[in-house]
Amino acid sequence: MSQQAMTHAEDYSAGLALGVDHRKIGMWLFIASEVMFFGGLIATYLHYKYTLGFPEASRLNIVAVGVNTTILLTSSLAVVMALSSIRAGRSGRMSVFLLLTILLGATFLTGQALEFSHLYGEGVTLTGSVFGSSFFTLTGFHGLHVLAGVVWAIVVLVRGLRRAFSAERNMGVEVFGLYWHFVDIVWIMLFTLIYLIP
Amino acid sequence: MTTYPATGTWRRYFSWNTDHKVIGIQYIVTSFVFFILAGMLAMLMRAELRAPGSDLLNAETYNQVMTNHGSLMIFLWILPVVAGFGNYLIPLMIGARDMAFPRLNALSYWLIPPAGLIMLASFFVGGAEAGWTAYVPLSIGGPPGQTLWAVSVMILGISAIMGAINFVTTVITMRAPGMTFGRLPLFVWGMMATSLLVLSATPVLTAGLVLVALDRVVGTQFFTVASGGDPILWQNLFWFYSHPAVYIMILPAMGIVSEIFPVFARKPIFGYRMIALSSMAIAVLGLTVWAHHMFASGMDPRLRVPYMVSSMVIAVPTGIKIFSWLATIWYGKLRLTTPMLFALGFISMFLIGGLTGIFLAAIPVDLHVTDTYFVVAHLHFVLFGGSVSAVYAGLYYWFPKITGRMYDEKTGRVHFVANFVGTNLAYLPMFAAGLMGMPRRVADYDPSFTSYNQMATLGGLILALSTLPFLYNAIVSWARGPKAAANPWSALTLEWQTSSPPPTENFAEIPVVTTDPYAYGEESSLTAEPAAAPAAG
Amino acid sequence: MQVPSAQPARRWPLYLGVFLVLILLTVIEIMVAGSGVTPPALNVILLALSFSKAGLVAAFYMHLRGDHRLYTAIFVLPVLLLMVFAVLSVLI
Repeated sequence: MSQQAMTHAEDYSAGLALGVDHRKIGMWLFIASEVMFFGGLIATYLHYKYTLGFPEASRLNIVAVGVNTTILLTSSLAVVMALSSIRAGRSGRMSVFLLLTILLGATFLTGQALEFSHLYGEGVTLTGSVFGSSFFTLTGFHGLHVLAGVVWAIVVLVRGLRRAFSAERNMGVEVFGLYWHFVDIVWIMLFTLIYLIP
Repeated sequence: MTTYPATGTWRRYFSWNTDHKVIGIQYIVTSFVFFILAGMLAMLMRAELRAPGSDLLNAETYNQVMTNHGSLMIFLWILPVVAGFGNYLIPLMIGARDMAFPRLNALSYWLIPPAGLIMLASFFVGGAEAGWTAYVPLSIGGPPGQTLWAVSVMILGISAIMGAINFVTTVITMRAPGMTFGRLPLFVWGMMATSLLVLSATPVLTAGLVLVALDRVVGTQFFTVASGGDPILWQNLFWFYSHPAVYIMILPAMGIVSEIFPVFARKPIFGYRMIALSSMAIAVLGLTVWAHHMFASGMDPRLRVPYMVSSMVIAVPTGIKIFSWLATIWYGKLRLTTPMLFALGFISMFLIGGLTGIFLAAIPVDLHVTDTYFVVAHLHFVLFGGSVSAVYAGLYYWFPKITGRMYDEKTGRVHFVANFVGTNLAYLPMFAAGLMGMPRRVADYDPSFTSYNQMATLGGLILALSTLPFLYNAIVSWARGPKAAANPWSALTLEWQTSSPPPTENFAEIPVVTTDPYAYGEESSLTAEPAAAPAAG
Repeated sequence: MQVPSAQPARRWPLYLGVFLVLILLTVIEIMVAGSGVTPPALNVILLALSFSKAGLVAAFYMHLRGDHRLYTAIFVLPVLLLMVFAVLSVLI
């Protein structure tokens, strides 16, 4: 017998009756696990922030990172506009917004890279102190998630250009969007916990 | 009822296959292999501990054997085997054709053999020797195999999370018409509660393992005490997962025995709603008690008290379940088949383990017996007397469904008796040894503990030998046993309303559910009607 | 076939409005951080601002508002758990 996945659309009728889509549930459950993963790293950062004080945090440039934060927030706008576009059947417009997302995401990552190298120049390194270890690991894993998001955005863009999505079939875009917004939310919290709260 | 031939050859079990039944069997057989390996390590330990003095193994080797025994048993036996049961049974029990994400399902299995090999490989490069708990800074400075250990556990955690996403999504979105949440078999409820724990707790361990790996490989300072690193932080990250992990190991087991008692007492389950709610309550409470593993760590004494209270409160839903099972079999028409024997053994041995857990929850008792053999006895009663008994019960119970053949009942009974005697003989003396002060994780001990250890070693030997009738039964019956009917136990859950083994898409037609799964003794307790009838909803 | 979306197609004014609020809140955050306000009041204000931003993204960009509340539960419960764990890991 065939080894392909044998499930059919009607198999998900219980979900439809409930009003939930299995792919969305899957993504939200994945996001729940990511909340807890970042939770472990955030708990580590906060634990040491409160036991050691983190005087090196004064070297962080709040305004520059604030600008970077704004860039990421803008990318979230672009993502939701992309979804809104395809829901209205405007595939071309979706592609433009996805391209914008990719550019903004790449810009954010560039900003992170610049910030990291600036800190290294000031002697704050991953292995040099508990602060360095905590800071770079937490923001670094966030950056990796942004990078994965950028790659995913490229995949969605390419699929969109190949007309994979329509006004009725766009769950792939929505699920990508959920991931991207989640990564943005993580950054919203990190910006406050790392840069703003003394 | 049409009988479909078993599809495919044995080769499909060694290749990428998205059918949840194949994946379930892959999980179960693979984990059983690790069970045997981990059991051999235990035999090494018991051989060493038969007499005081480091006769067979030096301390370092003993620590490596001990670490891998625990790690293999937990991460490569119990956790994957319950996932295997979930994989095989959930779609069948809810009336679905497969899991929600079949390819993710296959991937979650195929992460396990490499992760297992990585953990075994750690033996050969200088094995992990910090216990399965890998406390820092010991695990930071330890031999190279510790890094492989950490990587292996991370991979297994990712596999588990993928599985949990699949289980929850499947149950929410793929139930057959009429399969309301109030009619879900209790095994499915158990797996739902388990999956919530996997999703919420495993990632925190993953984060902690990342920190340990970074410290070891790259030189970060997370746990470098001289730089301000805090070993207690590791304990928090570790136990935040590892306490819920024990509920991940027991909730599916409780689900299995909840399926078995009504069938072999021929009575409806007592307290269906309470058992389902208790599973969820145990899961939620289980996320709040982790620091009871840290009572002796130097944590703020005032903070210990809430953890003591919550750890004792967890006994309430557990007790509700035990009383419900007893009420189920009370005045029932008992058939003492092998699965039923193991389920009954489960109750008695899990009870001992659970009660001693309450002892340990009391701070003053814990301060006296922590890191002694009292804890070793407790954990083996709940995990071996409990989970493993239930797994055996499930393996016998669903053997005809999975393999299409019936096992030999007499050999099964021999296995049960040897297992029951061996378990009690191996672990009861350890309570006494612990109370008298024998520390755990030692290759050598004061001669005053010798008689306890000799009894434990004898019990361990009986346990090891007891595996043989099981293996013989499983292999020979699978190959040549009498063909099994679709429903040899006359049970009511949906997996028994299709052939043994089920066809590729599980059901010729998706059943329409009209009653609950434990309606034994009631007039019209047919669960599945051919789907000529419209969906009942 | 997918679940019919609870959201109408033309929502970009809402999204733009939410975006402007997000930017405004970010500016306020930075200003508050640089002002003379001290902990614990400072921390409470900053956390309230950032939770508001996160909530806006979750409610409107991730469509939690208007979707089945199961999605909201799947998201919010781990967040609460994370907060409990983070606080306790600082204390223990």
